[in-house]
Formats: sequence, structure tokens, C-alpha cells
Amino acid sequence: MNIQFFDSIIIAPSEDKIYSRLGYNKKLTVLNREQKKRIDENIEKALDLVTLKGAGVRIPIKAISSSEINLSQEIVFKSKSLIKFLNHCQEVILIAATAGEKIGESIRKNSEGKDVTYAVILDAVGSEMVDSALTWIMSFFDNQVKRENKYVIGKRFSAGYGDFLLDNQKVIWDTLKLKELGVNLTNKYILVPEKTVTAVSGIKLISG
Amino acid sequence: MKNIKNICRKKVLILDGATGTELQKRGMPQGVCPEIWCLDNPKVLKSIYLDYSNAGSDMISTCTFGANAVKLAEYGDFDVKKINRQLTALARTVVGKNCLVAGDIGPLGKFIEPFGPLTFEDAVDIFKEQVKGLIQGGADYLAIETMMDIQEARAALIAVKETTDKFVSVSMTYELNGRTLNGTDPLTALITLQSLGADAVGCNCSAGPQDMIKFVLQMKPYAKVPLIAKPNAGIPELIQGKTNFRMGAKEFAFYSKELVLSGVNMLGGCCGTTPAHIKELKKVVSKIEPQYCLKKSISALSSARKNLVIDRNKPLVIIGECINPTGKKVLREELQNGKTSEVRRLIKEQENKGANLLDINVGAPGVDEKQMLKRIVQLASLQTNLPLVIDSSDPEAVEKALRVYSGRALVNSISAEKGKMKKFLEITKKYGAMFILLPLSDKGLPKDFDEAKENIHFIYSQSKMFGFTKDDIVVDGLAMPISSNPGAALETLKTISWCSKIFKISTVIGLSNVSFGMPKRALFNATYLVIAQSQGLNMVISNPLSEELMSSGKAADALIQKDKGGLLFCSNFKKDSSCEIIPLNRKITPCDKVSIAILEGNKEDIKKYVQDAIESGEKSYDLVHKVMLPAINKVGELFNKKEYFLPQLIISAETMKIAFAYLKPYLSENKLLKEQKKNVVILATVKDDVHDIGKNIVSLMVENQGVLVIDLGKNVSAERIIKEIKKHKPILVALSALMTTTMVNMKEVINLSRKKGLDCPFMLGGAVVTKSYAQSFGAEYAKDGVAAVIITKKFMRK
Repeated sequence: MNIQFFDSIIIAPSEDKIYSRLGYNKKLTVLNREQKKRIDENIEKALDLVTLKGAGVRIPIKAISSSEINLSQEIVFKSKSLIKFLNHCQEVILIAATAGEKIGESIRKNSEGKDVTYAVILDAVGSEMVDSALTWIMSFFDNQVKRENKYVIGKRFSAGYGDFLLDNQKVIWDTLKLKELGVNLTNKYILVPEKTVTAVSGIKLISG
Repeated sequence: MKNIKNICRKKVLILDGATGTELQKRGMPQGVCPEIWCLDNPKVLKSIYLDYSNAGSDMISTCTFGANAVKLAEYGDFDVKKINRQLTALARTVVGKNCLVAGDIGPLGKFIEPFGPLTFEDAVDIFKEQVKGLIQGGADYLAIETMMDIQEARAALIAVKETTDKFVSVSMTYELNGRTLNGTDPLTALITLQSLGADAVGCNCSAGPQDMIKFVLQMKPYAKVPLIAKPNAGIPELIQGKTNFRMGAKEFAFYSKELVLSGVNMLGGCCGTTPAHIKELKKVVSKIEPQYCLKKSISALSSARKNLVIDRNKPLVIIGECINPTGKKVLREELQNGKTSEVRRLIKEQENKGANLLDINVGAPGVDEKQMLKRIVQLASLQTNLPLVIDSSDPEAVEKALRVYSGRALVNSISAEKGKMKKFLEITKKYGAMFILLPLSDKGLPKDFDEAKENIHFIYSQSKMFGFTKDDIVVDGLAMPISSNPGAALETLKTISWCSKIFKISTVIGLSNVSFGMPKRALFNATYLVIAQSQGLNMVISNPLSEELMSSGKAADALIQKDKGGLLFCSNFKKDSSCEIIPLNRKITPCDKVSIAILEGNKEDIKKYVQDAIESGEKSYDLVHKVMLPAINKVGELFNKKEYFLPQLIISAETMKIAFAYLKPYLSENKLLKEQKKNVVILATVKDDVHDIGKNIVSLMVENQGVLVIDLGKNVSAERIIKEIKKHKPILVALSALMTTTMVNMKEVINLSRKKGLDCPFMLGGAVVTKSYAQSFGAEYAKDGVAAVIITKKFMRK
């Protein structure tokens, strides 16, 4: 199994998406210049605390029944919603991205009353950057598989949603050897650092 | 090589279409190694070559896209050189001399450090092995393609240049946002690759032909090499449950014409294209006269993700000088100890203050400059998008840094010192950098402008022999301290003026030298900068953290019309506007100021405004009820109407909290405190959940309503919550959970409380909690902090 580790992912942050996560509405929200400057400075500070890393691996689907998906490497996912999501896929990609420890620590410190405004900005920046990193990893695989006349479906599915239980996070964590990226898993299947996300996506064949 | 360039002058060189998708159509099964399968099934590959040749391709690509050591290792242990040699020879056998054969080189599938596990030299070596096989097999030229990472493209290009002098093209693959996966835009890639020696540059894959037009248009005005394009047959689309490339041959040909009119010189197809696409393309394109290269040379620098085109008629270019240990104890000690945090800080700070380029100098006693310069250049390439100026007098250190630098750098500097000039010119040329011409000779500093001019002429004439043009050079005007030589500043101005007006070349000065030994150095520097700009100076090495200097430079640009109409100046110094809250015809009272501070989230001044209000005679109880609570409630209303968003809501709440805390001494033993004690709210994030930012927001906002919040923290057991309920008898218990797995613990708390005979109301919130979930055990649901306030108010005792 050829796990791809991405030791450093550089992504231009999308200010629009970060603002949108914070509830900014282009048509309705009124922000004066001073407030905008303060928020932008906080976003900049938050971005300095982000160190994006990631990993991903392609795994062929061996069999799909009505209740479970069997992948090579003896990996089995039991989830009807995931089965539906991966309809017509030949392979899955397991992916993970983390924003590193610093931003999580800063969120914790600031949300405990030190500077809650900054904490919510940190939270939005961390979430957005990890999300963008997952999109980046999917694009990486999409570029890789294009020559095989395949493509990566544009969506992803994470453990903890629908009937794809959170304990599947353990399988993904093990398979991707996330320990090597400095990511740990608690006995309740929570990823540490906090701003870490794993997901499953699929690879389909281009028919023509 | 000359042959291909000549062809491109006369006509558009028609390339081939897709190989991979054609192989699959013609029977190659899924999951096999395409290169090995082709060697086992040569007839299929031969048929594809013949079809493209018959369709009109002037060139076909070898089926060696993945024939490198990294990719082949996924399928077994293979002889890389042999496979490349055999596949190239196969292509040659089929097309003979009718077609050119391009040795195809694809990405390794692993990133180069710092993005991935491969060192830069590993990557160069892996590519070299493949290049050697392709050359042995008889490739006419080398086609590096589908590159997502500019550093990997550089490694492949260096591998080719160090192996052969054959024609080499490099094409990158851009996402629809106009950047490669690693963030490089087409113009930046062009600047980096053509200066590094690519004979053609362009784009392939990812996009269809219509999307590629804009990439080509970005590159053409700056291209000194032919442009190449190999678009996909559109973007795969889902049609009746099947995904397919939709664009037919005629439509493809229509856009191909547009591509040629935009400036493409070498055109073919990538994924999904077929011999039919190439045939139609040829029909349309062969009637059009191509535009050859518009530039012979270009004055431009690049990083991996940004470029800077240097134009003497444009605003001043600021080169941040701060990463230089001379006279900087903290930085020097850090570098001596192999640390980099100060460098990181200086990179960020200079970029934020408006530097356009960053000078990197690590020369100090006790620092291994050869290693450190390379390391800092790699670090800076990651930390900033600004192009770099590599500053060292050690050619070996500069070479190591240039080799790994992922853009086109400016070398600082090359003088007429005989022992070093040739070496410096050689390496600067090899890596395609620009350089600062320092008009010094073995005799030392020029005594006046005439000697400086002589030195400039001499170094320039030497550099021409290496192929440099004036566009590749920036002349250092040599700013010297007037404290030691009062006439030096005037001589420098003469040099700048001559270079700019007569010799027509860019100029730079190390500005702070001029004020050495003088008082008020910032004023001195800023004044000299303005004078030098008026003489034509277009670049300066200076401290971008000096506001005086940056402002003067911008003002001078506006005055001498390099910033046309002063637009940039005005946008930098536009007056702040703030929202009007108090009607203009009414005087602002101290209470208004408190209200405005809460509405605007002015944490810095709120204490002073509260103090002013109290001193003006406002009673603390009234200030809370008539001023502060209405203000924070107004914030809640604005949030609900989306006129405020989360940071505004929270900062207002924090401002209110500061005001409350400040008022406490004035409120002791009075009505408000009694009210607070009557209204206790318990907050907790339930067991096994460690997320508490949402709960902390609710705590902050609810507290501002004058209730006493007992915040039990995160990961709190049901038993502990029950114990606290019994102790405090709250008006409301608020529970938070972020995850589906911990959400169930909310139910446990509520069930246990009912079992213990407690009838207190519960309020639930958190990302995964829904209204129906909360209502299923009779709890209130708060979607956010404002909703939590509304629910809390419902239960408050008067």
C-alpha cells in the first residue's frame, strides 16, 4: 500500500470562506473599516499558527454488499450511507489533514476567557484550512488517476456522520499511519490535534 | 533544437493526443503498468502512433509518462533506462523520420521536500536516469509534462539540462482556478522555467481548450520561448450515469484555433483526445500563421507562487533588508545556533509591511554560510510568496541556494573582482537568475561616477558573453556614507541618473548606507530615497518596517507619476470610516460612549467610558439596565439579522463583560447582585467531549444578562452535573456536545436528573445537536449564543 504523506501543504487561504464560516453575509453584514482591520489581523495571526500536513492512500474496493464495503488490506466499513456515497466507485481514497498543534492550543487558551473573539477566528481559520487541505489532497489524487482514465468524485465522507460510525476513525488512522504526522487518536476516537480531519472519497472510471 | 525552434517560427507544431485513454480503448486492462503492458503489446501502441501520425501530428510522445524509478517501483523491480530506451525506440521505428519523437517525462508521484519525502537531488537523479534512457532510444526532444509542483518541474528540467542539450519543453497542469495544485500561476511558472532554460513552456491536462486560453494569454506577453498547450477534451461530465469527456473533435478544433490566436506555438491534446481531435485541429490550425515569441528577454523575478515584473516606469520596488545578521545580535546568535524563529518573524513582518522582495544574507562569523543560506532560502520559499534576493559574496553558497530555490532569484551581487566574476556569472546563468551589478573592481570602490560607469560597462560586456541582457541586470548605484565622503551621495545620483536615462537599465541602492554616522537616520534615508527616485531609481534595499521611508517612497512615486494619479498612494492612506450610531445633531454623552463601545466591541476603551459615565453621575444599576443591556441586546438583534457576524457578536460580549467586571465594586450589595444570585445557570460540555468553544461563547453571552454562570468545564460526568444542580438550584442547565458519540451523554444527564427528582429545565446545544433531539427529552434547543440568551431570559426570575 502506497501511502502518500504530504509533509507540508501550502494553500492560499480563502478570506471569503473564513468569513463565511464566521457567519459573514456579503449582502447583510455591516463591518466598519476598523473592525475589518482587527478581524483581518486576527486571521493573519491565526494563519501563522497553521502548519498543514496530510496523508492519503488509494485502496481498491473488493466487494460491496448491502451493508458493508470490503477493501483490500482486510479493511471493512459497515455503513449504508457510505455504500450509497461510493456507488459505482472502483477504489476509495482514505485521506487526512491536520493543521498542527499550535492552532489547537491557541484555541483552547483563548476560548477559556482570554480572548474569545480571537478563539472563534482561530477556530474558523483552523477548520477552513484543514478542509482546504483535504480538497487539495483529493485534487492531488485526481491528477494522479486521470492518466488511468479515472477521476476522484468531488465529495468526501467522514466518520461520525450518518451510520458511518466514529470508531471507523481508528481504521483510517491506522491505515494512513497518522502517528507519523503527529496525529493521535483517543480511546473515544477523537483526533488530536483538534484541527485534524479524516475522510473517505471514491475513484470512478471515466467511461469513454 | 534549432530545427524545432525554426519550425515554430513558421507554423504551429502539431503534437499528438492522449495515449493513456487510447490504450484503454484499445484493450489495456485496468490496474496494469502502462509502460510494461505496451512493451508486451507493442502492436497496440504502434497503432496509436500510426493513427496520430496519419492524423497530422508533427510529433508523437513516447509512452513513458510513468517510466521513472518511483512509479515503476509500484509494479515491480524494473530497469528504468532499458524501459525508456525500448519504448522510445519503438516510437522511432513506427514514425521513422516523418515525425519528431518526444521523450515523455511525467511527475514522480511523490513530492519534493518540504512538501514530500524526496530531496531535490534525489528527484534530479531519478529524472536523469529516465532522460538517459530516452536519449539512448533516440528521442528528438524531451517533453516534461503534467507537472503540479514547480520545484519538481525544475528538478526535471535541471536533469535534462545536465544530461543533454536537446530541445526541452515543460508544461504544467493548472486547476480551473488558474494555479497548479501547489499554487503556481502560469506567468510565474513561465518566468521560472524559461529563465532556467526550458525551450518551450506551457500547460497540459486538467482543463479543456477554452479554459486554457486564459492561461496562454497570461503568458504570451512575457514569453521568450514558444508556448505549448495540450488540453483535455473538455472536462469529464456525468451523462446518463456514465462519466465521459464530452468535447468532440470539431468543438475541440474550434477552441484550438482560439488557442493559436492567443499565442500557442505547439498544440496537441491530452486526456480524452483522439486521432480524430488531432485531425480536426490540424485542419483548422494549419491555416493560421503563428505568433512567435514577443520578448527576447524579460526583467522579472518569481517565487513558487508569485512573480514581479520589473518595469522602470512602475512604482519603486522595495527589497526588505532585515534578514542580514550584520549589526543584529539576536539574528546573528540564532543563525550561529542553527535556529530560525527570528528569520521567520522578519520574513512575515517585512511582507506585511509591504516589501516586494526579500534579501537573504546569513553571512556572520560562526555560521556555515553554504549550508545556512540554502536552508534559509528553502525556509523563506515556504514562509513567503515574495521572490528572494540571494545575498552573498561566496559563489558556492549562492550556487547551493539557487539550485534549490523554486523561483527566479536576484543574485546580490556580481562585481568585477577577477577571482569571482566569471564563476558568479556562470552559476547565475545556469540557474536563470537576475543579478545586481556592483560596480566595484579589484581596485575597490570607484572613486567617482566616471570610474563607476567604466566598471558597469566592463561587467555588462562580460555578462553578455554568458547571454545576459540588460533586462537581467540591476545596477547598484553604490550609496556610500556621506559622513565619511560628503560628495558620495551626489556621485551615486549621477550613476542612477545615467543608468536610468542613458544606459536604460534598472538601478538599486542599499539605502541605509548613506546615513551611516548621521543623526535622524530614518529622515535622512527617506529624503535621499525621494531624491534618488527623482533621478530614476526603481529599486531600493531598505527597511520596510520604517513607516517614514515607505510613505516617502509611495509619495515620491505619485509625484513623479510612476503611481499614475497617486491611486496607490491614496488607497494606502485612505481615511478610516466608522459607522454612525449617534445622530449627528446630538451631542455624544458618556453613556452613549459606553453604548457605542459595546456595539462596536471596543474592549480597549470601555473601562474609561464606564468610569466617565459613573463620574458624570450615572447610577451603576441604571448604566447596566438602561445602557449596557440594551446595547448588548441590540448586538443580538443585529446578529440575528446577519448585520453582525460571529466575531462582532463575541467582541461586543467581551466588551460588555469587561464593563460588568469594572462596575462590580459599584454594584456590591445592591439589587443587581441579588438578582444575579437568584438566577444561576449551570454550563457544561458533557462527558468524553473536549470541545468547549461553543459552551464558552454561551457562558460569555448569558453572563452578560446579569445571571450567575457556574461553568463546570468540559468532559463533565453526569454525576458531577447532578451534584452541582443540587447545590446551586439553577434556573437552567446548559449542556454542550460537538460529536454524535458524545451527544448521547446529554440524555444520560437528563435521565439521571429526573431519576433523582430534579425538575430543572435543560438547554442543549452544539454542532450535532438538533431541535428535535433536544425536544425528544423535553429540553430547550439553542442554535447559537443569541438563542441561548433568549432562552435564558425566559427562565430568569425578576
